Amino acid sequence: MKMPFSLPFSLPFVLSGLLCSSLAQAQPLQYVLDPERSWVQFEVLHFNTSTIRGRIGPVNGSVLLDAAAGSGDVRLAVRTATVSTGLGFFDARLRQDDLLASEAFPEAYFVATRLTFIQGRVATLRGEFTWRGVSQPLQLTALRYACRLDDSTALPAEVCGGDFEGEVLRSEHGANFGLPLVGNRVRLLVQVEGRRPIPAPHVKTP
Amino acid sequence: MKKLILALTAAAGLVSFSTAQAQTATYTLDPTHTFVTWEALHFGTSTSRGRFDKKEGKIEIDRAAKTGKVDITIDMASISTGVAPFDNHLKGKDFFDVTTHPTARFQANGFSFDGTKVSAVQGTLTMLGKTQPVELKASRFNCYDNPFFKREVCGGDFEVTIQRSQWGSTHGLPAIPDNIRLLVQVEAIKQ
Repeated sequence: MKMPFSLPFSLPFVLSGLLCSSLAQAQPLQYVLDPERSWVQFEVLHFNTSTIRGRIGPVNGSVLLDAAAGSGDVRLAVRTATVSTGLGFFDARLRQDDLLASEAFPEAYFVATRLTFIQGRVATLRGEFTWRGVSQPLQLTALRYACRLDDSTALPAEVCGGDFEGEVLRSEHGANFGLPLVGNRVRLLVQVEGRRPIPAPHVKTP
Repeated sequence: MKKLILALTAAAGLVSFSTAQAQTATYTLDPTHTFVTWEALHFGTSTSRGRFDKKEGKIEIDRAAKTGKVDITIDMASISTGVAPFDNHLKGKDFFDVTTHPTARFQANGFSFDGTKVSAVQGTLTMLGKTQPVELKASRFNCYDNPFFKREVCGGDFEVTIQRSQWGSTHGLPAIPDNIRLLVQVEAIKQ
């Protein structure tokens, strides 16, 4: 192929074009979750006094986004036995049948097929949250969302992700132990980043 | 060194307990309901979180005189993000350098009250060998009779955003942000 003497566009423009291809393309794009940056943190109020926090993850799943069409398909799952509060005995207690029920129902999962976008960015995910075998509607709302080009490795990728927030009433899933001294409202803070390899040829500075 | 700090803290606790005035109540941290969680924005995209799992300390509060004292020591090697290589990087020389600086310490004797509730605590945070002022603001505070301990427990949620560069932590700036948000859950049992 004959190279032009001057590039028609500046390099940053080309790169940003690749980055924004999710806006221009009509077909859904698939993102692979980064296990180091995809976690659920939960918050529950203890005796109306202080907030108990714990971590569950990493989040597994599949993410398909079509920003141009304003649609997508997001399926996220966590193994609840991975719960980590910093206290081993508390983690073991949480895994029991009257709370996370990790043995009978190893995974909690969220399937969202109703997405909204604001200026090409994912804004809300609406779907069903299944935990302890009970499915309830859940909305996760983006507190922030951004995409960037990661060309720091040999496999350049578009990385998109954000912070999402949702709320579950644990009594609606039958996890009633400790009510009402330990709160019914469980706030979910979901950190998520997904990678989409950018197809060759990828333009990179020498 | 950590044992020495803990021994000194314990000794100081005995002294202040025996000389405390009638209205000053002394509380020992409930380590099962006391955690520091930190948040750092990752490439402007998502929030990475971690916590410190081991800590000890003591709190004095005089709600009538609206005064108090706090002394909490955190074991920096107990950092936990869920990602082992990330924990190891954070413990290394780029960040917390836990071999040289095994503990961080929050000491405070400035207490602000809103009625009988603590609304803010002003003190110092010693980390990486440097001591800087910090103010923890309460997003909630409450005291209650704990049915398990059969004692009064006071506690709440506090937060502050610090600039890590003030403690000399500059690795990765500005891609790894200077602003680190600390969320502190604390409960303490009346002695």
